[in-house]
Amino acid sequence: MRPGRFLPKVPPAAASLLWRALTRQPRLLVRLGAWSLAEAAPALAGGTAVAHAVDDGFAAGRPGTGLAWVAVPAVAWLLAAVAARQVMLAVAAVVEPFRDELLETVVTGALRAGHGDTAAVARMNHQVELARDAFAAIITVVRSFAFTLVGVALGIATLAPAVLPVVLPPVLAGLLLFLLSLPTLARRQRDVILADEATAEAVSAMAGGLRDITACGAESRAAERVGGEVVRQARAAGALAAVTAARTLTLAVGGGLPVLLLLAFTPWLLDRGLTGGVVLGALTYVMQSLTPALGGLIQGLGVSGVRLAVTLDRILGAAAPAPPRGDRTPDGVRLELRGVRFAYGPAAEPVIDDLDLVVAEGEHLAVVGPSGIGKSTLAALVTGVLTPGRGEVLLGGVPAAEVTPGARALIPQEAYVFHGSLTENLTYLAPDATPEEVDEAVALFGLAEPARRCGGRDAPLDPAALSAGERQLVALARTYLSPARLVVLDEATSHLDPAAEARAEAAFAARGGTLVVIAHRISSALRARRVLVMDGARVTAGTHDELVSASPLYADLVGHWEGGPPMGTLAAGAVAEDAEVAPGRRPQPTALGGDLDRLDA
Amino acid sequence: MTSRSADRLILDAVRRGGPWLAGLAAAALVGAAAELALPAALAQAVDALVSGTPGGERRVILTALLVGVVVACDAVRVLAAGRAGARTALWLRRRAVVHVLSSGTALSRRLTPGEIVTRAGVNAEEVARTPEAVVTAAALLVPSAGSVIALALIDPSLAVTLVAGLVLIVAVLRAFIRRTTAASGGYQRAQGQIAARLVGALAGARTVAAAGTQDREARRVLAPLPRLREHGLDLWRLQARAGVRAAVVIPLLETAVLAVGGLRLAAGDLTVGELLAAARYVVLGAGLGSAIGYAARLARARSAAGRLDELLAAPAPAYGSRPLPDGPGRLELRGVTLDADGGPVLAGVDLIVPGGSCVAVVGRSGAGKSSLAAVAGRLADPDSGSVLLDGVPLREIDRRELRSAVGYAFERPVLFGETLGDAMGSGVPGQDGGRVRAAAAAACADGFVRRLPLGYATPIADAPMSGGEVQRIGLARAFAQAERLLILDDAMSSLDTVTERQVGRALTGGLADRTRLVVAHRAGTAARADQVVWLDEGRVRATGPHALLWRDPAYRAVFQGDS
Repeated sequence: MRPGRFLPKVPPAAASLLWRALTRQPRLLVRLGAWSLAEAAPALAGGTAVAHAVDDGFAAGRPGTGLAWVAVPAVAWLLAAVAARQVMLAVAAVVEPFRDELLETVVTGALRAGHGDTAAVARMNHQVELARDAFAAIITVVRSFAFTLVGVALGIATLAPAVLPVVLPPVLAGLLLFLLSLPTLARRQRDVILADEATAEAVSAMAGGLRDITACGAESRAAERVGGEVVRQARAAGALAAVTAARTLTLAVGGGLPVLLLLAFTPWLLDRGLTGGVVLGALTYVMQSLTPALGGLIQGLGVSGVRLAVTLDRILGAAAPAPPRGDRTPDGVRLELRGVRFAYGPAAEPVIDDLDLVVAEGEHLAVVGPSGIGKSTLAALVTGVLTPGRGEVLLGGVPAAEVTPGARALIPQEAYVFHGSLTENLTYLAPDATPEEVDEAVALFGLAEPARRCGGRDAPLDPAALSAGERQLVALARTYLSPARLVVLDEATSHLDPAAEARAEAAFAARGGTLVVIAHRISSALRARRVLVMDGARVTAGTHDELVSASPLYADLVGHWEGGPPMGTLAAGAVAEDAEVAPGRRPQPTALGGDLDRLDA
Repeated sequence: MTSRSADRLILDAVRRGGPWLAGLAAAALVGAAAELALPAALAQAVDALVSGTPGGERRVILTALLVGVVVACDAVRVLAAGRAGARTALWLRRRAVVHVLSSGTALSRRLTPGEIVTRAGVNAEEVARTPEAVVTAAALLVPSAGSVIALALIDPSLAVTLVAGLVLIVAVLRAFIRRTTAASGGYQRAQGQIAARLVGALAGARTVAAAGTQDREARRVLAPLPRLREHGLDLWRLQARAGVRAAVVIPLLETAVLAVGGLRLAAGDLTVGELLAAARYVVLGAGLGSAIGYAARLARARSAAGRLDELLAAPAPAYGSRPLPDGPGRLELRGVTLDADGGPVLAGVDLIVPGGSCVAVVGRSGAGKSSLAAVAGRLADPDSGSVLLDGVPLREIDRRELRSAVGYAFERPVLFGETLGDAMGSGVPGQDGGRVRAAAAAACADGFVRRLPLGYATPIADAPMSGGEVQRIGLARAFAQAERLLILDDAMSSLDTVTERQVGRALTGGLADRTRLVVAHRAGTAARADQVVWLDEGRVRATGPHALLWRDPAYRAVFQGDS
């Protein structure tokens, strides 16, 4: 059999992480070793002291000497107590940076991957804690067993070398048996952990969807699904119990057999001139030091080792490589798409197929179409966040993915405002902005009022205290201050009222550079010089007037408020503010619920 | 009363352990007795061997037998405890799952999903481990208490020393627990800050990705890390101090016993073997602390059983056995009243929806629209009054018949199944791909689903969808399911206007043979319906065509106030 079949497999990434944690501070390891030595003092002295206390003291009629010898292990225990404390602190000094590194991996991984729900974040935090505790436990028990074994061996060797061949082989045999059983134990333990999680997940999905399960009449299907996990979990627990029971036998070999062998060999040892005190001392070594240390090792390694392997697997599995970052400065911001095709998977229908488009420097383009049609995909392609499967996206002649991030900006619908001051939020993309420039942006986007409410521009800002619209204003002002010459607003004004939306778009149009607006309301299209209509099947570009006749979808979008019954008869005018936009060009949107103007919600 | 039914649940659960439980009890008791006898046997063997008296070999064999019994009992105990626990947990969980599913929405009004998961998970486990806790506590108690007696027999002062030492350990541990809670508070706060920052940064993932600031964000998220480490090290320090104090007590007790026992040995009152036995009994006696710990677990198990019992006691609606006669899907509500904590949410609602017609339900939030929708398809039972579908009261209809007749679409549908295809077919018995695809097309879901990595076979977890897209999947699910009555509870609120118009056309076109009850916030939706039911504070304020009701300013205000 290959040795690899016995030892639990450790993936190289996890191994290098553990090795780094252990060797980060070599001096710490020296300290850990020195204190471990001191902690092993009772293991070294215990049996010998008992033997001398009996033989030279109590049994020899010298109680004073006996008490003095008994005091030796007491002192050793006190020393060990001090040492144990230092050992624990040294272990902490190893595992705390280890935890930090794991957290860094989790955080950067999540940010690079760019998704992950709140629950996943919480689970990851929990995994990090579990990994830290398991690592600490492993260091503690392995080290403790090794030092105790050496201490006991040295102690017996000085007390009575003849005992050594009687005691050590069964201990080592027990250890070997345990190591042999470890892979099976690890597998079973892993199965249990995974089965527990699978059950919790299945029950959670069921509990969260009770209304829908009842409505679909899918009770038996759901019961089958969850029941399957519950049965698997019970099977895994049963299988683990069998292996754990077998494991207690290894402790019997390693801890029980030495005692029995010692008894069996006592007449032989006495024949060789050893005393009753020495036998007592040898038994003390085994029962007081060796058996507990072996028990600790078996318990600790059997549980924590597997725990560490499973959690590290999870944590490192979530790690993501740094996304490639462009560093080329484009020559201008003329945007050109040539034969661009993009699909989210090989089996998927393309979201964008064979798209040619040129947006000249300084142009203002609006993109309209129903939701889910691929408008945000287009925004991601233009800003280089996604790369096309076929064709090219060029910004100033440079492929979009290679453009330095500072040259363009994307504002998504879900505005990002972080915990920090308003100033920090606004200068996020423009660290060199002067206070005057920030003031101008604050005034331009109507942020003076929220700033006052939060205690000033430089006071800590709670994103949750801002309305969705105010958060969008922060994101808009931030991008306004940035040096980006290509700005893509992906429904970035969805929570603003039509007037504020018009003001924001006007500010960006006046700012210069190229502006692409993924329209939330059709009025955005009316403000743009050119409009791109995405219809699923095809993409049409042109001016408003061209599109009304060329694109049925566009005509539909515009037409459905240009007076079709029965809506016209019900007009109650809730979005009359749109009047200031493109006055006189278009008929007034007559709204029913105040939301008909919205392309997307 | 509740505590009695919780105890009954524990007893029921214990019985499910079956033969394993008997094995566990037997092994634990025999093992405990052997463990208690072992030091004495060991002492006699050592004394016989050292003094060279005859019969030493027999005593060694006896000791070996005892060691064998202890080991075997230990193995059987571990195996039996694990197997019995697994069996019991399986039984409890199955019972909980079946009950949760049959209670359905009645339960989700009482318990949050998180609470249900805890009860079916951790709590079930705690109850299932009760037999083990009881047996282990007993198994620890026997040798611990026996050791104190054995020590007292050897020398009363030794027993006194042991008890005093145990009290000391408990005191140290209690002080530790009190201090940890303060330190771990700081640790958890720092942890929470990092998690909150990460969640915030992930919400802005698209901004961060476009700006290429991932690594800068990581640094910002991890800013509280030094504080976390500081609190972490504080915790370790506390733990080191208390752990060490506790750990040094037993060896010191052992040493004290050795000293006192040594003196007795010198006086000739004690043999070498008895000295060894005394030291062993100290270690066994110290197990009393763990036995107390197991008793605490029993208390926990009882309260866990109480929580589980609460879940199992939730009422489950019973279904009838009547089939539905042929019919157009005529829905009738007669004097329907539904109570909630704060008073009635529906009060004496009478309503007839003719088969094949489309009725919109409108009203301000809190007017009872969703309650009406829930009652109409038996997601909730009215407290008084009745609901009939094609003349048959819903309560009397067979479950399968009812669910294949009525389909629901919600504002926030919860999808289940492996793939999106499964999710849309959840309400259709068996596999019917054609029916699902037709429904998806009507719900405007077909197009975007086909653009996903694996189309209809895309796993739900791998399909990041907007609120509007999830709603379209939910609509498709309902369209595929409903054979007679389609209930849309604000199910189109997140659709963009174009899509809403297209789905609206499907509702009045291909789906027009079904009765449709549509809870609506938008006036456009109400305008397309044949009739509008205007709810106000749980009562029907008016019914009629939208155009007619629109003349009433109060009716118009319903639509402006809500959005």
